[in-house]
Amino acid sequence: MEYLLHILILIGIYVILSISLNLISGFTGLISLAHAGFYGVGAYVASLMALNIHSPFLVNVLCAIILSGILGALVGAPALRIHDDYFVIATFAFQVIIFSILNNWVSFTGGPIGLAGIPQPIIFGWNVSSHIEFLLLIGSLCALTLWVSRRVVNSPFGRVLKAIREDEIFAQAAGKNVAKYKLQIFVLGAGMAAVAGAVYACYITFIDPTSFTIMESIFIISIIIIGGAGSLWGTVIGAVVLVTLPEVLRFAGLPATVAANIRQIIYGSLLIGFMMWRPKGLLGEYSFQRGGPGSER
Amino acid sequence: MFLQLIINALVASSWYVLIGIGASLILRTCRFFDISLGALFTVCPYFAFLLKEWFGFPLVLSIVLAIPSTMLLEVIIYTSMYSFLFRAKASPLIILLVSLGLYIILQNLVSLIFGDDTKIIRPIEVQEGLSIFSAKISSIQGVSILIAIFLITLTIVLIRKSKIGKALRAVAIDPELAAVSGIEVDLVRLWSMVIACGLAGAAGILMALDIDMTPTMGLDALVMGLVAAIIGGPEKVIGVTLGALFLAIVQHIGLWELGPKWHEAGAFVILLLFLLFRPEGLIGRKVKKATV
Amino acid sequence: MSGSWFDINDVTKSFNGLRALSGFSCSVKKGEILGLIGPNGAGKTTLFNVITGFVVPDYGNVIFKGIDLVSLPSHKIASIGIARTFQILRLILQLTVFENTMLFFRDQPGEKIGNIFFRSKMSSKKEAENREKAISILESVGLGEKLFEYAGNLSYGQQKLLSLVCCFAAGANVLLLDEPVAGIAPEMIEKILSIISDLPRQLKSVMLIEHNLDAVMQVCNRVIFMDAGVKISEGSPLEVRNDPKVIRAYID
Repeated sequence: MEYLLHILILIGIYVILSISLNLISGFTGLISLAHAGFYGVGAYVASLMALNIHSPFLVNVLCAIILSGILGALVGAPALRIHDDYFVIATFAFQVIIFSILNNWVSFTGGPIGLAGIPQPIIFGWNVSSHIEFLLLIGSLCALTLWVSRRVVNSPFGRVLKAIREDEIFAQAAGKNVAKYKLQIFVLGAGMAAVAGAVYACYITFIDPTSFTIMESIFIISIIIIGGAGSLWGTVIGAVVLVTLPEVLRFAGLPATVAANIRQIIYGSLLIGFMMWRPKGLLGEYSFQRGGPGSER
Repeated sequence: MFLQLIINALVASSWYVLIGIGASLILRTCRFFDISLGALFTVCPYFAFLLKEWFGFPLVLSIVLAIPSTMLLEVIIYTSMYSFLFRAKASPLIILLVSLGLYIILQNLVSLIFGDDTKIIRPIEVQEGLSIFSAKISSIQGVSILIAIFLITLTIVLIRKSKIGKALRAVAIDPELAAVSGIEVDLVRLWSMVIACGLAGAAGILMALDIDMTPTMGLDALVMGLVAAIIGGPEKVIGVTLGALFLAIVQHIGLWELGPKWHEAGAFVILLLFLLFRPEGLIGRKVKKATV
Repeated sequence: MSGSWFDINDVTKSFNGLRALSGFSCSVKKGEILGLIGPNGAGKTTLFNVITGFVVPDYGNVIFKGIDLVSLPSHKIASIGIARTFQILRLILQLTVFENTMLFFRDQPGEKIGNIFFRSKMSSKKEAENREKAISILESVGLGEKLFEYAGNLSYGQQKLLSLVCCFAAGANVLLLDEPVAGIAPEMIEKILSIISDLPRQLKSVMLIEHNLDAVMQVCNRVIFMDAGVKISEGSPLEVRNDPKVIRAYID
């Protein structure tokens, strides 16, 4: 039972991560491999504050959001200057740099050893400790994330995002300051990912840089690819599928390293399979094919 | 001391430049970043390992057989996957993600079959190297640099003078025009990937001979190669070479104070600076923005 | 020509050594339809790109209501009353006709992310107003039935009509139309031309690039003929058509 709750909590965390990335990549078309970086910064900021100045959980989360948001702005700002395919590489670069800082700035972040003993959250007197309580917490945060994302996506702002995704030049000609929108959606997405990071940190009570590598970014973007770029519910389904899949393999009785490799192989095959035959994913509306005449190089 | 750093930089850049040229070849001709090249970089020395350790072939023969075997693998991959994607006019992003999936599969297959521990194919006896003013360079390292120079020159000659080289350039500039002029664009793309694969495989073997091999060696090398290609200017082989040298020198000398663990981050900071302020690379020409 | 509504002064632009525009100047009056004709490569679309901020000229300026457009980013130019269509049709095919139109309205508080959450009533109210306006514009041009159809499912002619509608939604005073009736059926040509002809009555100005000379004769008050980036002839449609320089250029 505890195991099932643990899986559900993980699903919750990845729902928040993938929905926030979907806003950036699926709805606005900015493929970003830096998302694990925002996730990691959120986790580390919240944890460092909790461990060093013993501030309350909500304050830590707020600071995590702010710092991650600033980072999001840094990543999103060059989006207009650096062109499409090179932009993915730029986000890759940011991801590696963030990971390097987390891994190598030993005096500040603990380096590869990570941070341990992260206190569990206390929210207005409610000490979140059991699995059920964490599930409640992450469940409400998921609901909040979905609500916020739905509002954004169905608003005129969301309409502009979709226009930018399909034809940036058309969006400019319609009077939209494309650079500003790109910046804002990165800030929003990064802030949401930070929340997931903060909760993850105090759930597991221990974090290290290996949870926030480029492979993690790739995992999150795979959720979107499989669930559907530009679809909120598709993302939820994608998260459920990709989080439970490795757990199912666990029951096949394979030795741990073999299982890890097989899991990755299945996962790479899913990536290829979807990209070749169903790039829109299960429920999505964007097939990663940038539109607009003359947009082919 | 300074000389040792230069030598280290030269050796490192010899691997990066080869895979970088391969990556830029694919980038120019097929218009996407091929992550699976990193897997082929890894697979090649492991092929050699297989031939040497499991079948008992001598080292040199293993190496000589491994490279074309890897290129054959690339042909299979191309005809089964990339060809379809190009004909369907899939966007560069989709193809990049497919190549990523391929990388993941291949790398994990290597891990499954051979394990994650470090494997060795270099000869066990201690190699006598050269000493130049108290800087040491092993014979393997020296060979690395020489082979790199040889292959770079070979590639440049191939691209400039041979029929396939001209076809490659034509497709790189304008695939539709090339097709109309009678060039088999699909075949040319296959050639570009096979040549790139050969270069990458060779680089993998050179690296394995110097610092041994692990299943994940390819991704780091590919990434460095891509960074070298982008900051040097992917349009010309010379550009990639300069980029690789520039990168290796900055890493080994400029970041000397910080230590090797910051090499990767340093490379990416340089990359970002170039992408922001000089996207055409060290020697490239200004790229035209999308026309309206 | 100074102190008027819309002035293009001495615009020059070269691409990789090729002169696309060479000291081009003209003025557009309020409520005037100006036709721009000339062979392919004459620089007509480049001129539109310069006006709308997608290309920065090497020399010259474009003054609209006293503001120099050359120093402004393209989205800013689009928001101060200049709208355009594209030679190679651009629309968001994955959005509906309705959504494409709504995109162009200038006053949309719902486009600010803060307003979505903290001023939602005001945003919804404005969105509803814009919705009414969009529906009425689309109905008036005969696209009312296609409101919730994806723009990608429209016929080419209907798509061209939609891109014209978008310019209206933007409330533009100056419309730059790049080949608005090229490649479409005669009934749709008539419909679009009649819509364009009505624009002077609304005190809107139009610059029109077209190869269809009948259309140009029909709707334009004034015509400019250009070739190789240079203005060759300017005057009423008849004057330009009969200008020996123009006739020579077409025969060559």
